Amino acid sequence: MQVEISRRKFLQGTVALSVIAASTSALSNTKSQNDKKTFGTTKTSNNKNEIKIVPTLCEMCVNKCAAYARVENNVVTKLDPNPHFPKSQNMLCARGNAGIQALYDPDRLKYPLIRVGKRGDGKYKRVTWDEAYSHISEKMAKILDEEKDNRSCIGYCAGEGMAEHTYKTFMQDKFGSSNFVNHSSICLQTTVSGYALTIGGYGQADLENAEYIIMAGANRAEAIVTPDTMELFKRTKRRGAKLIVIDPRFTNTAAHADDWLPVEVGTDLALVLALTYVVLTEELYNKKFVALNMNGFEEYKEHIISSSYTPEWAEKITGIKVSKIKKIARDFMHHAPKAIYYQGRRTAWSKQDFQLRRAQAIFTALGGGIDKEGGIVFGKKLPLGSHSINAPIYANAEGRIEKDAAAIIGGSGSWIAWRNKVVEDKSPYPIRGMFVYKQNPMLSIPNAKKTKQMFEKMDLVVVIDTMPSDTAMMADVILPECTYLEREDPVKSFGGAQPSIALRQAATKPMYETKPVIEIMHGLGSKMAKPLWEVTKKHDEDVQDEIEGKSEAEIEAYYKENGFDLSDDFAHSQEEINKHMVEEVYGSEAWKILREKGVYYLNMDKYFKKLSSNEYQWYPRDRRFYSVVRGEFKSDVFHDTCVNEKEIAVLKKEFKTPTGKVECVLNNLAKKGVDSMPKWRDEMYTATPKGKFKFITGRHGQFTQNATSNNAMLLDLMPENYLWINKRIAKDRGIEFGDTVEVESNVGKIQIKAYPTEKIGFNTLFFIHGFGSTSDNLTLGVDNGASDNEIIDDVIEPVFGSAAMHETIVDVRKV
Amino acid sequence: MARYGMVLDYKNCINCKACETACKEENGILLGADNHRIWVGTKEIEGEFPFLNIASNNFLPSQCQQCANAPCQEVCPTNATYYDENSVVRVDPDKCILCSYCMTACPYDARYVDDRTKTVDKCNFCADTRIARGETTTACQNTCPTKVRIFGDLDDPNSEISEVLRTRDHFTLKSHLGTDPRLFYLT
Repeated sequence: MQVEISRRKFLQGTVALSVIAASTSALSNTKSQNDKKTFGTTKTSNNKNEIKIVPTLCEMCVNKCAAYARVENNVVTKLDPNPHFPKSQNMLCARGNAGIQALYDPDRLKYPLIRVGKRGDGKYKRVTWDEAYSHISEKMAKILDEEKDNRSCIGYCAGEGMAEHTYKTFMQDKFGSSNFVNHSSICLQTTVSGYALTIGGYGQADLENAEYIIMAGANRAEAIVTPDTMELFKRTKRRGAKLIVIDPRFTNTAAHADDWLPVEVGTDLALVLALTYVVLTEELYNKKFVALNMNGFEEYKEHIISSSYTPEWAEKITGIKVSKIKKIARDFMHHAPKAIYYQGRRTAWSKQDFQLRRAQAIFTALGGGIDKEGGIVFGKKLPLGSHSINAPIYANAEGRIEKDAAAIIGGSGSWIAWRNKVVEDKSPYPIRGMFVYKQNPMLSIPNAKKTKQMFEKMDLVVVIDTMPSDTAMMADVILPECTYLEREDPVKSFGGAQPSIALRQAATKPMYETKPVIEIMHGLGSKMAKPLWEVTKKHDEDVQDEIEGKSEAEIEAYYKENGFDLSDDFAHSQEEINKHMVEEVYGSEAWKILREKGVYYLNMDKYFKKLSSNEYQWYPRDRRFYSVVRGEFKSDVFHDTCVNEKEIAVLKKEFKTPTGKVECVLNNLAKKGVDSMPKWRDEMYTATPKGKFKFITGRHGQFTQNATSNNAMLLDLMPENYLWINKRIAKDRGIEFGDTVEVESNVGKIQIKAYPTEKIGFNTLFFIHGFGSTSDNLTLGVDNGASDNEIIDDVIEPVFGSAAMHETIVDVRKV
Repeated sequence: MARYGMVLDYKNCINCKACETACKEENGILLGADNHRIWVGTKEIEGEFPFLNIASNNFLPSQCQQCANAPCQEVCPTNATYYDENSVVRVDPDKCILCSYCMTACPYDARYVDDRTKTVDKCNFCADTRIARGETTTACQNTCPTKVRIFGDLDDPNSEISEVLRTRDHFTLKSHLGTDPRLFYLT
């Protein structure tokens, strides 16, 4: 066999992106030396006795893998995987290992800051926490007085995270604003909702047992998801799981595929409809499952066939050959019910994304692979104790501003539509301020120019973060949060076939003057509560009626009893709250185990076993929750070897949908102007004009979006992003590897280095998301590569208002 | 005393570089592109879009092969390269004079110069960190998301590594050179 083994060749190679990156690393040679800063690693001690091990949960991406922090003399020297957690299965990826750099990053936000320069120029003065809180409180009281106590005039956003709900509780339940936006609409809203409305839940792809997986646009070798990534690649390459990768790019995931099909960008829906056509016309579907568990099947069948969604039709749209479409449809059903059309995560692709996810869910259901081992399983979630909130009611708070921007705007909003309302002065009432927690909209929302304009319009921007991100540079006040290794977060229950509860504990004390968000909310709430109460008393007629004629003492009592004291829900430490939530359900022994092991589930002491250096048992096979939808089937039914697998899949289920079945037709959506069944719409497809390109974006295993953009260790692996352009197209345009090129769209242009490759088609361009920061305070991350959202157009997906990130037409030229 | 070796189920490798970062954090390796004890060799895919040869693209994790018959050890004029009590090929930085013969001799290109100590460095199976603390894994083995590696004592017939080598087909790199590596790749 021919393989590359040389380290030197590896360094000099011009093969994978990261390799190029390593060989051209500017980091270790220039930046760090110029800045006279020492970055790097510490050798761990060889003395066992100097080490303290603290179980915690990683926060370098959204997965929350269980980790052990190794602490020597109060310094975290190493992060290792904690094997007790069935979700992360004893692994820690490159980012997880580089978490130490997040803690010891010299550029961290260290003290509260108040802006002294122009918005965006990065000039701040150090203040005390009390000064920061006072500043915010005064501005908030003024704004709310002018807006007559309409709490919704202050918007707030958050990135995904374990303390997100602490922050949301403060901003929504206590402060009372309806204008929340989070990552959903720029991430997985369409797929979560598409699957939930169709099969009753997003579920978990049981890749440990699936025999056939279609993975479209999901890149599990690079965008690592636990446990999917670990379970999948141990079985690919003809070792039990057939993997079909459908992606306009040849990724590291495709490198493990049995077949890779480069689909035309934005045409996945046509492909799924054609696969469905083959299955329906050739009657390959699981007839028993369909008869018992699918609602509206005949109507759907009639729709697919009468619409002539033939493979021939799809070939013209998708670029995937008729023979391939037929083969995949047949092979999928041959392996069903252990066959999955993988749900995907960051699915904000096209305007037709919601229907694509519906079609995928129905396609998997046609094989019977729902709530079934080897298919999509719903699993079980271990309950946690209750935690009640004393939430006040504000009569003048109005509804969210972008409700009319799409058919269904949920509680997490539509980021693009929300921002555009503010920028274009189309908001029904003014948005005067914004709180940002652990999110970087300047780099993460399409059309960055507009995001900047949004912040420029605000009277008050408060950013809570660990790093001086591009968004932090738009803030009036910056409140420094401590990193995940310095705080305890709300305890969390993780559902699935092997459910468990896991806890993030502090490995070390917060450095500098940083605080966990729960303490920030307590401090800010304490300072703001009374001034804002005065505003409420002045403008809120309901409150005025309630307190009329009451004595000072009675009014004070009313204020406290009705939750107007904004700090009262944050008075207890996170540890106390967690203890209560666990002990209430599982008792004090469980709490002790959770703190010691970092993970807890029932019978853990009996079930958890180390089987070999790489294998653990969390739940014995017969105790896992592969099928849970209907309780009346005794678990032993599912483990009786006399029962045919296909027969099990057809047993009547009850899904969490209105009819209790898989919903092929959603008539209630038709009332909102949304197709009740997945339908290809030519007018919603953006064709690529000749000579131009469609721009796509994506992730990478050594980088988590832009939160890791200043991480010394990860930058060491990959200092900047490169533009993927087809080799022959690049040649035509005189573009060679490493040349600086300019990519321009309707909304902006960027400069980036080129990576000509055959791993992408002629009309598509790609670069990795998460680079291109312009914050000078990120001394390592600034000006590395380019930010995709400088050029991605703000196209809104019409069902949930998600960002359609793969609709942008661009051109490229050498500069 | 043990005779440590490692088996790599390299088909699992997704080139995520968790092993490289874990190694750097554990062993205090300097950052910088030229400094690493462990790496993933990749071979660029062959073919033209859209006809790419998937099988031609592979990821091969590599590091010091811990040869039983190590050319680096033979050429070292100061005996800085030595076998420790667990048969691990180690470098004694106090004895290393940076003549770099070992770097030339190594057929696997597994050695590099540590700019801090000005000595040659390479993988030592975490001998002076994890193994010294009494742990039984290396940092790379422990952290790997797709579980490529099995580490253990080749002299112990009951060890997992011995069992795997008895029952599964495997190969070593450049075996024709007679270096007798203690890194084994599963087919």
